[in-house]
Amino acid sequence: MSERHRDPDDVFAERLARLLGRPERFGDEFEQSLAAAIRADRPIRVRLVPRARPLTPSWWRMPTIVRLSPIAAAALAAALTGVAILGTLRVARPEAGDRPRAAITSGVVHDTVTFVRFVFVGQARTVSLVGDFNRWGADPTPLVAANGVWTASVPLQNGRHEYAFIVDGARWVPDPLAPTSSDEFDTKSSIVMVGT
Amino acid sequence: MAAAIRGDVDAFAELSRRYRDTYSRFAVRMVGNRDDAEDVLQSAFIRAYRALDRCRDPDRFGGWLYQIVANECRSFVIRRSRRDRRMVHDELLLRDAPAPADGSDTLEDVQYALDQLDVDQREAFLMKHIEQLSYEEMSEITGDGISALKMRVKRACARLRQLLEEVHDV
Repeated sequence: MSERHRDPDDVFAERLARLLGRPERFGDEFEQSLAAAIRADRPIRVRLVPRARPLTPSWWRMPTIVRLSPIAAAALAAALTGVAILGTLRVARPEAGDRPRAAITSGVVHDTVTFVRFVFVGQARTVSLVGDFNRWGADPTPLVAANGVWTASVPLQNGRHEYAFIVDGARWVPDPLAPTSSDEFDTKSSIVMVGT
Repeated sequence: MAAAIRGDVDAFAELSRRYRDTYSRFAVRMVGNRDDAEDVLQSAFIRAYRALDRCRDPDRFGGWLYQIVANECRSFVIRRSRRDRRMVHDELLLRDAPAPADGSDTLEDVQYALDQLDVDQREAFLMKHIEQLSYEEMSEITGDGISALKMRVKRACARLRQLLEEVHDV
């Protein structure tokens, strides 16, 4: 049958099948793990979040916390690199149309401003930070890569905050080195305590 | 097969090896990534092992296992979509990935579009056009009628076409 007379859906699907039809194979450890799981008679529960198994090669660091007075914070804000400023602004942006520098200033109205530097190391195309401080990603904070290290500095108020990394726009990755909490869907998030 | 049905774990693991590659692609495309797919597939195989005495026709073990794999994938996708209502998928960042200069699709583009389909359409499209199942086989696995499955495939194609056009327009 000529291309002209074929169902357009079939032609379209064939185009996609050239990509989606590529084989996906798991290693032989699949059966070993399967046999072990059956013998252990573990309850069946598929986790909804990416496992702590690191991306390759990868490791994470705990957030670096720097406490500053308002004046020092303003000075630091001015000294931050353009990239780091961008990362901060994405979180702190209060209203559309605000100028970025004003948004930085809005981060130092508290008695103590704490900049928390989040670091992720691993292979990724994009990494962003979500947490209670940015409404779980309503306005996600992009991390910026330099030599394979992804960082973002975020001003946080004192208290307990939960966060996670979103890798490549879809993978929810908690920090395995930080304490975690789970929600009702067993989604794990990391915890950072600021100012305590 | 007989040994596996009697509960021989090693025999079942060997049996699963025969089907692993067949179902791993379906699972990866359904759930959108390899790590989750591996967990889902393993979970499905454990369920199958525990339910082997309910496999009424050992000659149709493959189809019976396919049902369990498909159900496990659907269940996972639905549970995840409930969770994702609370969580952001950073679509704009995802789209920052460079597109091929010639405007052709990438696997990431197509998987992204596939992930936007509802689970029924995604499953039907994959079974029909990627796993090359007949509508009769699909009906046996899913328990749904052939006309409903045809409609899902058609709608899936239309939606995928629309989504991919949007990606290329970005």
